[in-house]
Amino acid sequence: MRDLSKEILSVDALHKTYDIKKLFRPTLKLKALSDINFHLDKKETLGIVGESGCGKSTLAKVLTKLEPRTLGEINLQGIKYDEISSHDFHSKIQMVFQDPYQSLNPRKKALDIIADPLRINTNTSANETRDLVMAMMKKVGLREEFALRYPHHFSGGQRQRLGIARALMLRPEILILDEPVSALDVSIQAQVLNLLLELQEEFKLSYIFISHDLEVVQHMSDRILVMYLGRVVEYGSRDQIFNNPLHPYTKILLESAPKTHREKSNQAITVKGELPSALNLPKGCAFEPRCPFAKPGCKESIPLLEIKQGREVACFEAH
Amino acid sequence: MKIFFSELFFELKKNCGAMIGIVFIIFSLFIAFLAPLIAPHNPTEVFADALRLPPSFISGGKAGFFFGTDDIGRDLLSRLIYGSRISLSVGFSVVVISLISGTFLGVVSGYYGGMIDRLIMRLTDLIMSLPSILFAIVIVAVLGPGITNAIVAVSVVAVPNFIRIIRAQVMVEKNRQYVQAAKLFGAGNARIMFIEILPNCMAPLIVQASLGFSDGILNVAALGFLGLGAQAPMSEWGTMLSDARSYIESSPWMVTLPGICILLTVLSFNLLGDGLRDALDPRLKKQN
Amino acid sequence: MSENLLDIKDLNIFFKSDKNPEPIHAVRDLSFSLKQGEMLGVVGESGSGKSITNLALMGILGDGAIVKARECSFNGRELLSLKEREWQKVRGGEIAMIFQDPMTALNPFLTVEFQIVETILAHLNISKSEAKNKAIELLLQVGITSPKDRLKSYPFELSGGMAQRVMIAMAISTGPKLLIADEPTTALDVTIQKQILTLIKSLQEKNNMSVILVTHDLGVVSEFSERVQVMYAGELVETGNTSDLIKNPHHPYTFGLLSSRPGAVERLAKTPLASIAGIVPAFHQRPVGCQFNPRCVHVQEDCKKGSIPIERGVRCLHPMMEALS
Repeated sequence: MRDLSKEILSVDALHKTYDIKKLFRPTLKLKALSDINFHLDKKETLGIVGESGCGKSTLAKVLTKLEPRTLGEINLQGIKYDEISSHDFHSKIQMVFQDPYQSLNPRKKALDIIADPLRINTNTSANETRDLVMAMMKKVGLREEFALRYPHHFSGGQRQRLGIARALMLRPEILILDEPVSALDVSIQAQVLNLLLELQEEFKLSYIFISHDLEVVQHMSDRILVMYLGRVVEYGSRDQIFNNPLHPYTKILLESAPKTHREKSNQAITVKGELPSALNLPKGCAFEPRCPFAKPGCKESIPLLEIKQGREVACFEAH
Repeated sequence: MKIFFSELFFELKKNCGAMIGIVFIIFSLFIAFLAPLIAPHNPTEVFADALRLPPSFISGGKAGFFFGTDDIGRDLLSRLIYGSRISLSVGFSVVVISLISGTFLGVVSGYYGGMIDRLIMRLTDLIMSLPSILFAIVIVAVLGPGITNAIVAVSVVAVPNFIRIIRAQVMVEKNRQYVQAAKLFGAGNARIMFIEILPNCMAPLIVQASLGFSDGILNVAALGFLGLGAQAPMSEWGTMLSDARSYIESSPWMVTLPGICILLTVLSFNLLGDGLRDALDPRLKKQN
Repeated sequence: MSENLLDIKDLNIFFKSDKNPEPIHAVRDLSFSLKQGEMLGVVGESGSGKSITNLALMGILGDGAIVKARECSFNGRELLSLKEREWQKVRGGEIAMIFQDPMTALNPFLTVEFQIVETILAHLNISKSEAKNKAIELLLQVGITSPKDRLKSYPFELSGGMAQRVMIAMAISTGPKLLIADEPTTALDVTIQKQILTLIKSLQEKNNMSVILVTHDLGVVSEFSERVQVMYAGELVETGNTSDLIKNPHHPYTFGLLSSRPGAVERLAKTPLASIAGIVPAFHQRPVGCQFNPRCVHVQEDCKKGSIPIERGVRCLHPMMEALS
């Protein structure tokens, strides 16, 4: 299944643990990510799905080196993360943030926001920088006369376009999209998603698309990684995950997502209870306490990812 | 930035107190700059035949000495006019020194955290645990009396205020996504601290600077009063107050007039500071 | 007296501000009604006026707001003519509201018990111990399994879903006739969202309570509410039976909203989505005529002048006839 020549990013046995220090109490270990393995091909979109607390945002931070990893190896185009110079790193992998209001410096003009990556990393002349910024603004659908405006003059959708333009200035090959449309109005979401699709084609980008919105992920992704409490529970192609989910959590996630066009299903499976604390994970499968299909064996040990029906699933009961 | 200030002024215009403050500050700046043109006499010139004259509009006063003269026959009005130069420049120096050092330390402290933060914060606790004027006296006692040393002492005392305000703001701002974005395109720590974060901490700084101005003037005047600030024959208001205090019953104008000058100047900066706070606060809320 | 619990005719809401001499017209000629025990979905984006309408119904809009209506009757009483004290009785008693962010709606310094009991005592004439028993009963009703332990919790000890359940328990504690749920699940995960919406639905049916469910997500409405109204830029643009409206939207805005969702129609992944150009106009830049005309692909000259009446549930001069495919 894996074709190494196409691979641009690979993640092997990635762990991330946070130490929670409290006065007069022993330091607690919070396992934000446990044993994450995946790879990303050129020009491909990998969707990462899961609810809050599943570790998807931590994963984005570790992949962008905003947070150090605890264990494991990440390779970017076959080179280990630690061996890439920071300059090369920034021009290969960039990120678009969720909140278009917080991710742009309110005291900087649009022109400076987009131009700064160039100014810091290259010796481009001022005139050339300006031209490149204008070209990029046009690409993301912002008019040139907006260049001298401050972020608060822009609407949410336009701000997200600014954020995308900034991320593309160094011509990265991988773009990490952390909930890029979830803060936007429904009628604006489609505009930004279409833009992302266009840009992927034009700049030959690989996307890691993080979202809790399953319809959006289904539309944008080639392959999908489903996470629950810091672990991968199912990892496969879009059609495998959406048309024939095997892991009970994936099934429930798909079932719960509100859809405008769906025949009301009769056999509604709803999930019991809520997410257990990440500080106090169950001994066995993390989903067992909420799982409607749990068997006694699920409490005993953590199911590992196994290939079933062509995709990876971490469930004893899935076949 | 330009929009920021024009919006700020729009908000300020609605605040009566702040406008009075601004008008008075502009008035005193005007006087301070044009002191040699306005002052009727040289502030250090002694008129041996006119000792402790009352103001000219009171019986016994003499035309030409509008506010009267002091104990060795110097024209009070001229001394007050020249005194405004000293007070305003003292306030300015104190604010500049404490603002720059306080901002630097506050940004570093808030951004890096850890050991550096703890060190700087304990240092500010130390300064703030003593009454500020007492601490200033200690510094002047070590450095020796004089206007320059008084300014240094008062600035040191004012620094912790700036550090705390800036540090708190930086700790909020540094977690915003735009800072993460800057890290992602390889901005260094210095750039993130001073180009990305600092401009977003301006609002409370401006307020504190305005209030620091009045604190500075007041504290240096107090040191002058205690004989630790400006030395004779410099016409500093605090020193004038102190020189005249033995004549408080026989020639009350000699004490009253410098006192009123200090009061008005300090009051107008405080009014401006409060107005700025009111004008900037809703903006701060909107941004969050 | 009509059979409707809530009857609103030509509701207009204006806001005065220092900067603009002209008051902002935030909600325009809004009319709708709600029967006892019925659920109404209200769908709209930011700036559509959906939340402002709810706050007006609760009488908590604040000083700058001017609310006018030809009729605004609730349970046979005219809401807008109520005095503040009478309104306090209605608010929280007969009309209850739950908000998007349960964490900020609960007081962080008080226990769950204190907050529920306080609400009950404010509206019902019972003793404190009775109120506590009622609180336990309510928590069980909203699906909290160990209510006695939960009563002692502080809000920060609750998860988002749990906090929203507590909010619902507080809201239904006084047996309201109308529950306004303003984006009750936007801050929650999808599995929890489903639990909460199912809970609201079951309470509606069990208590014969009317519910206004405000959301930006047409999917939520389509699964839980029989009737829906779509709002855009302060106006009601389309209303009707949910499944009909979703299958066969007549207003171009509803059509655009529906077809811009990736899951709305069968389409190949990674192909462009139908999208609505432009943005919702700001309050002070509202266009003349149809509010949607600057963004509408079917716009004609007559759309740009006058006010557009609602006919057969659609505020559009040139409604779309083809079904969404």
